[in-house]
Amino acid sequence: MSGSLLLQTLILGVLLGGLYALLAAGLTLYFGVMRVVMIAHSAFLILAAYLAWFFHQQTGLDPLLSLAVTVPLFFVVGYLMQRGLISRLRPATLTMMSVLLTFAIALAIEGMLGFLFTSTQRRIQLGYSGSSIEFFGARIAVVKLIAFGLAAAALVALFLLLKMTRFGQALRATIQHPEAARLLGVNTDRIAGFGFGLGLATAAIGGTALALDSTIYPSLHWHWIGPLMAIIVVGGLGSIPGAAAAALLLGVTQSLLQLPLGTTWAQTVFYVALFATLLVRPQGFFGGRLAQRF
Amino acid sequence: MPSVSDRAAPAHVDGEAPGRSRFDLTIVGGKVVLAVVLGALVLAFPMMATDAFILSVGVVIASYAAFAVGWNFVGGFTGYISLGHAAYTGLGGYGTALLVLELDLNPWVALVAAAVLVALLAVPIGIASLRVRGASFVIVSIALVLILLLVAQSWASLTGGAQGLRVPRPFGPDVLRPEQHERFFYLNVALVAVALAVWWFIDRSRFGTGLKAIREDEDKAQALGVPTGAYKLAVFVISAFFTALAGGMYALWFGYLDPIFQFSILIGSYMVLMSLLGGIRSLFGPVLGAVVVGYSLEFFKVHYGDSQFHLVALGLLLALVVMFMPDGVIPAIGALVDRFRPQRSSIREMTAEELLAHNASIDDKSAGTATATDDERDLATVPPRSGKDLR
Repeated sequence: MSGSLLLQTLILGVLLGGLYALLAAGLTLYFGVMRVVMIAHSAFLILAAYLAWFFHQQTGLDPLLSLAVTVPLFFVVGYLMQRGLISRLRPATLTMMSVLLTFAIALAIEGMLGFLFTSTQRRIQLGYSGSSIEFFGARIAVVKLIAFGLAAAALVALFLLLKMTRFGQALRATIQHPEAARLLGVNTDRIAGFGFGLGLATAAIGGTALALDSTIYPSLHWHWIGPLMAIIVVGGLGSIPGAAAAALLLGVTQSLLQLPLGTTWAQTVFYVALFATLLVRPQGFFGGRLAQRF
Repeated sequence: MPSVSDRAAPAHVDGEAPGRSRFDLTIVGGKVVLAVVLGALVLAFPMMATDAFILSVGVVIASYAAFAVGWNFVGGFTGYISLGHAAYTGLGGYGTALLVLELDLNPWVALVAAAVLVALLAVPIGIASLRVRGASFVIVSIALVLILLLVAQSWASLTGGAQGLRVPRPFGPDVLRPEQHERFFYLNVALVAVALAVWWFIDRSRFGTGLKAIREDEDKAQALGVPTGAYKLAVFVISAFFTALAGGMYALWFGYLDPIFQFSILIGSYMVLMSLLGGIRSLFGPVLGAVVVGYSLEFFKVHYGDSQFHLVALGLLLALVVMFMPDGVIPAIGALVDRFRPQRSSIREMTAEELLAHNASIDDKSAGTATATDDERDLATVPPRSGKDLR
């Protein structure tokens, strides 16, 4: 195996891990504010990818511009979903029933996509789709770099939003201790809705990034939900840095394993990591007190 | 899962013959008549079916019922919702087919042997996945199906990969298609009946009481000395066994296995939907759910064909059940019947004084004779809101 191939694989792994990290951050947000595991996250991801494709198809403009529509749209949808559906479930059975509810939403989205756009595989062809950059002998496709850049920018923005703004402070307070946050005058219900909206906005960004460099079809979300779920369990439910670290680690491992094993078997690394984590440390490697009971 | 404060408390009024009102007797009589009529209808179904297609729909529904009842061992007793039980139907199917094809076993021996193998395999899976609760358990169950799908697709030399695997028919070539359907219909019904009998038996055992305690509050159950880990694992293995039997039966009937359809999250979600819709706490809930869901699925396939619209319908139905009827139809009907029960003047059956007196009498009894039955001890701990069982 040549060094440049290894380097290329490593870089591709990091690029993929960046996208995983962004999506896992969204999942962590939902879990943080509502203790909800959102199965529909990857379905929304594919929905955003389809919207980007459709936008490009109709207008001929760059699919990145569709972000201007999808991000606010997904934010609103996320807010409404939390206020209208998730928060109306019985608290005692919330964790389990919300999984089923979001699963149902995922099915409905997949069905609608298949119904509207048929299950034909779609791909966006852009002027720069084929171009790539040489980097110490490793060839990296430009679209993958753009996708990573988008994911990284969104993650940084999310981080700054959470750490620097009053809203971020309220959101973190809601995650840490809802009752105390309420006592201090935080409207936790609304903040939880916004947290959901933010999480779904990450799916919009991730979906657009995904649409740039991969072929999409309605049932693709099943290929994403497994790895994403594995990432948040390995990272520890509720911890954004944990999710990001696990995402990068598993993304790179998957890429490296593709060389000797091929794409299909390399995917199993997520599930192996998932089961190993459950056996060794069920609360995940970075999760704290939150993750213990879930 | 459903909490202690839910109305459908598991404690049963059966067996307290004195004090039973006429209303109760009417209800019991009604239930018996209903059971006999429905049982006769089920058994007579193949005679009434007008053509082979209707009969095949009947077989599909019967096998869904077997799936759902198998699922409900874990879902109903412990409240651990597994979205990945398709793993066991798929493994049962592939196990049966491979034992027939590779080892040349008799199909029925292969069916049971495959189910036993799946049950053995469920032990390590259960040990790993039952360590976590709630949402994580669901994630793990989904992951399991996705792994098996990957393996079945990649390991083409054994499973035929995406080409699929043809399963030889268990009956000779002289048995025609409609007759095959008929035989498999009865086989599936028999499987459902056996599984229901086991469920009923567990429901009334100490084991079942422990499992239900886990469902209501696992930490408290553990604190009270229920061996939660062992109980969960045991019921998980039983569930895997029956689900694998149902899957193997389906494979023998359908005669063709494709990884995408065998290890599909959809099949797992059908099981959840059927059980939730019917009511996971009731014996016949999953069967009722299977009839409703199985019929609507076939209806959708006939009317909307291959379009993806049936996914939307499934999603909507599941969402509606989760939002508005998480306890299922059968408990809802039970609650409806209770509304017509006479002498129910107030919401709360017992005043606080009556409850105190009742508890004191139970304390006396258990202090005097150390042989208080489990049921009595259960009753003593039931909070006043579910006091309707305390009469």
